[in-house]
Amino acid sequence: MYPRLPHVTGYLTEHVAEDDFVTLEGYRARGGWLAAERALREMSPEDVVDQVTASGLQGRGGAGFPTGQKWSFMPSDPDGPSYLVCNADESEPGSFKDRLLLERAPHKVLEGILIGAFATRAEKTFVYVRGEYSRAADVFESAVEECRTAGILGRNALGSGFGHDVVVTRGAGAYICGEETGLLESLEGRKGMPRKKPPYPAQVGAFGRPTTVNNVETLAHVPHIVANGPEWFRGLGTEESPGTTLFGVSGHVSRPGLYELPLGTRLDEIVFEHAGGVPGGRKVKAVIPGGLSMPALPAGQLDVPMANESLRERGTFLGTGGIIVMDDTTCMVRVACVTTWFFRDESCGQCTQCREGTGWLHKLCERIERGAGEDADLDVLRDVSASMEGQTICAFADAAAWPVQGFLRHFREDFEAHVRLAKCPFPASFEL
Amino acid sequence: MPTITVDGRQVRVEEGRTILQALDDAGLLMDGVDVPHYCWHPGLAVDGSCRLCQVEVEGLGGLQIACNTPVADGMVVHTTSDRVRDARAGVMELLLVNHPLDCPICDQAGECKLQDYAFEYGAAGARTREPRRALQKRVPLGPTIVLDQERCILCRRCVRFCREVTGTGELGIANRGDRSVIETFPGVELDNPYSMNVADICPVGALTTRDFRFKVRVWFLEERPGICTGCARGCNVWLGVAHGEVQRYTARRNDRVNGSWICDAGRLSYREIAAPDRLRTPLVRGEDGVLRSAELDVALDAATRRLRELIDAKGPGMLAALASAHLTNEDLAALRRLLDRLGVDAAGLTLVMGEGDDLLVHPEKGANAAGARAAGFGDPAPILERLRGGGLEGLIVLGHDLLHPTLLGSPDALDDLATLIVLDTHRSELERVADVVIPGRHLAEKGGTLVNAEGVVQEVAAAVEPPFPATAQAEVLDRLAEALAPRLAQAGGDG
Amino acid sequence: MVIPEAARDAIDAAIGRYPEPRAALLPALHIVQRELGCVPLEAARELAAIFAVAPVEVLELLSFYNLFRVEPGGRHRVNVCTNLPCSLRGARALLRGLEAHLGVAAGETTRDGRITLGHEECLGACAWAPMLRIDGDYHENLDLEDAKRLLDGLE
Repeated sequence: MYPRLPHVTGYLTEHVAEDDFVTLEGYRARGGWLAAERALREMSPEDVVDQVTASGLQGRGGAGFPTGQKWSFMPSDPDGPSYLVCNADESEPGSFKDRLLLERAPHKVLEGILIGAFATRAEKTFVYVRGEYSRAADVFESAVEECRTAGILGRNALGSGFGHDVVVTRGAGAYICGEETGLLESLEGRKGMPRKKPPYPAQVGAFGRPTTVNNVETLAHVPHIVANGPEWFRGLGTEESPGTTLFGVSGHVSRPGLYELPLGTRLDEIVFEHAGGVPGGRKVKAVIPGGLSMPALPAGQLDVPMANESLRERGTFLGTGGIIVMDDTTCMVRVACVTTWFFRDESCGQCTQCREGTGWLHKLCERIERGAGEDADLDVLRDVSASMEGQTICAFADAAAWPVQGFLRHFREDFEAHVRLAKCPFPASFEL
Repeated sequence: MPTITVDGRQVRVEEGRTILQALDDAGLLMDGVDVPHYCWHPGLAVDGSCRLCQVEVEGLGGLQIACNTPVADGMVVHTTSDRVRDARAGVMELLLVNHPLDCPICDQAGECKLQDYAFEYGAAGARTREPRRALQKRVPLGPTIVLDQERCILCRRCVRFCREVTGTGELGIANRGDRSVIETFPGVELDNPYSMNVADICPVGALTTRDFRFKVRVWFLEERPGICTGCARGCNVWLGVAHGEVQRYTARRNDRVNGSWICDAGRLSYREIAAPDRLRTPLVRGEDGVLRSAELDVALDAATRRLRELIDAKGPGMLAALASAHLTNEDLAALRRLLDRLGVDAAGLTLVMGEGDDLLVHPEKGANAAGARAAGFGDPAPILERLRGGGLEGLIVLGHDLLHPTLLGSPDALDDLATLIVLDTHRSELERVADVVIPGRHLAEKGGTLVNAEGVVQEVAAAVEPPFPATAQAEVLDRLAEALAPRLAQAGGDG
Repeated sequence: MVIPEAARDAIDAAIGRYPEPRAALLPALHIVQRELGCVPLEAARELAAIFAVAPVEVLELLSFYNLFRVEPGGRHRVNVCTNLPCSLRGARALLRGLEAHLGVAAGETTRDGRITLGHEECLGACAWAPMLRIDGDYHENLDLEDAKRLLDGLE
């Protein structure tokens, strides 16, 4: 049996434990492909967009943009091909949900793709799978092949008259390709350097054509919305953030793993009740709620519902729902070193602030950790991260700046102690 | 036409332009409205990566980059607000984090946009204590350009130039993030007919030409406008003058003529000005058949005497003139006056034809071919024919283009001429057969008017004095005409 | 020609899957690397010719994307994820241990050419940290002894 199953399942992850769920037959046996049949045969593209809009589904790739609205940007009478791109470049540290869906529920993702493609009148979907997920790409490609053979994909998808094909493209190791226009560049055979906007992908996307880019999990919700209706979906989660999502919990917890829970589930509930809290009788020091690019929260602020409208008030965001827990041995300057190293490594290097700022932030954190920091360095950290924010082609620089701002906001004393003592005061912290 | 307001100033703009383009169109960019920029260049597509050109646009939240924000009627733009200045200062600080600050030994110092903007927008002291990038300081990219990786600010203008303008694509960027460096593919050098433009557009001292590197500090240069005479494009150049000598050409932007570029051959043609083979003194052939240097007056006397004797003996029909396409309209007008006074009809243009391309290089090798044709100097074939057939007794030659293989090839056919008067800037084989040789001035030394292949009339002033006595061709010709005038007046009376 | 005929056919097939040929350049690099173990400069030159791009553009891709390499390295590639979730659970200590065990630093290849050791950014196995990837296969929830045994078992 697949060894990495969710600890808590919901409609998205139901059946993922069952090995034949990855096959067309197994998926069909559990009610699969009925939603797509209904959408393609009985509904108009507008109906589908309306349903998804009414459901309030927000993108699960990190930005949380309303999916129905995104679809509505697509031209209804295009003068040539339009495309759907499934963003399967899951690379946000702390996130591992899309990998599960690709490997264990490929037909569900494909069904969402077909419905989304129908709704946006896309003639082809490009599924961009990060290069490291070779197993996921293999599984997914088998599912695509099965669907082609069965007539689910092709010139006459599900006998509806709608023609569609799916191409799986493998990335090659670059976090920035998760940014939708970086992905499009990479898909076109270039370096994944995000595009300046305007134009937006719905106007000029893949291969110069109108394109929608949706995350894997986002698309996996779609068949359920079509099958059960927007009201059902809105019955889960919060008013503003409906539905469930796949929270990934990692770091210092007793039961790390995936948890499918309604949006709005409290962070402390996830960390302590579901994931079993911090092992070894230690206490929580910090929790990153949404993947490495989201500002961390201190132990005292975990009583927050996991939904953007609530997290925003705490100065952070849901991101990809990757929850990283740190216990009280943890040196937050080391955490900052690891974090800034990552963003320095992955910056595409296009925009000045990001290219130079990520490197500078990292060098500053390293020096402070070494015990060679000064009081003024904390101001420099603050100013450099401020210079990076909101001023670049894509949100990567923000993603690099926010965590640093979060560490300074809530764990400034860790930084100050390094400067004061001229060494790291957390000998028991994880090794750098 | 939409109108936008920039810092309180109304600017009429063309639909579909971005703020920076609109300011550039209006001639205001960095000349009334300062929006500093590195990656944007008028000759290249918008890149939007350096992020220095951020401005505030009312109604749009946050700062916008002026290079990629489309104009809209009624748009209100602020380029000097505190927010804008703070953002620029932030970008400048970040650009300098890894810069080697080796201005004392940098060729760009004095014309460096990093220096300029750091002075304008940067902080007085650096806040970084971190080690800077240690990279290669001298990477030869090809026969013309050397790269200093440490100084590069990764605006990618050079990379984009080679992709968008020349289509040769020799340059790329290796690695990601702050490890990025300009690279070439091993064995594929930066080597195209326009390669040196990358040094012009490099805003910092990362790309320098081997030609100008370490030659002279740019603050000793006085930049004077000039025109390249290499072909009928008539590209606009800056003449960098120091110690009374032209030290380099760089491209001078003129969107009607050459955009922002010049070809490498044209760029290096400044060398013609102070070339060792410049004609430095008048030469007169003596009774013994030997050509000797002489004072200009002596040479003019000799030329006058010879021309007068020829016309007296054979009439003006046996005399012809050939003009080079490098001459100015003023030179050509003087030649025309002289010929008219002598009653000479046979006049031709010795235009050398060569390779052209789709970008700038024109097959007509001479900046004023169109001007010469308009002045009545046309196909030289009939004259060349007569020269080869011995049907001429005398010839006035301006320039030595007629020695080009596509024209006369060698001076042998001129051997039999009774009189050959040459006005030229450079020495040539014509000296073997000429009776009088008079040095003229290079365009940079005299200025004048030229008409390019598209009919654009361009005028430039003299930029340097020749380092030896040389007189502008027009003046020499007018003095000749003057000297010959009494005879002509008398001849007129005879008629 | 260093790109074998079969790989060229596979590249042609990949080109056919996209609206623009260039989109098959990344797939082509994967194909070449699978065949040759890396993408040597000569192969990059041949790819540039196939795709009608400047050779330096292929070189750009090779250094932009982590998974491509221009030199073959060891017979096996062992990469330890050192991002935060893994680091919190001892990934960097694990990497140190493996460096000592193999006698190489991260980024280097063992003298017998058996293993190139490296570290990698988040591989999406955060809950099963620390982990490493051997030639594309994930090995999760490791301690140093597990990891040493795994590496010792490599040919």
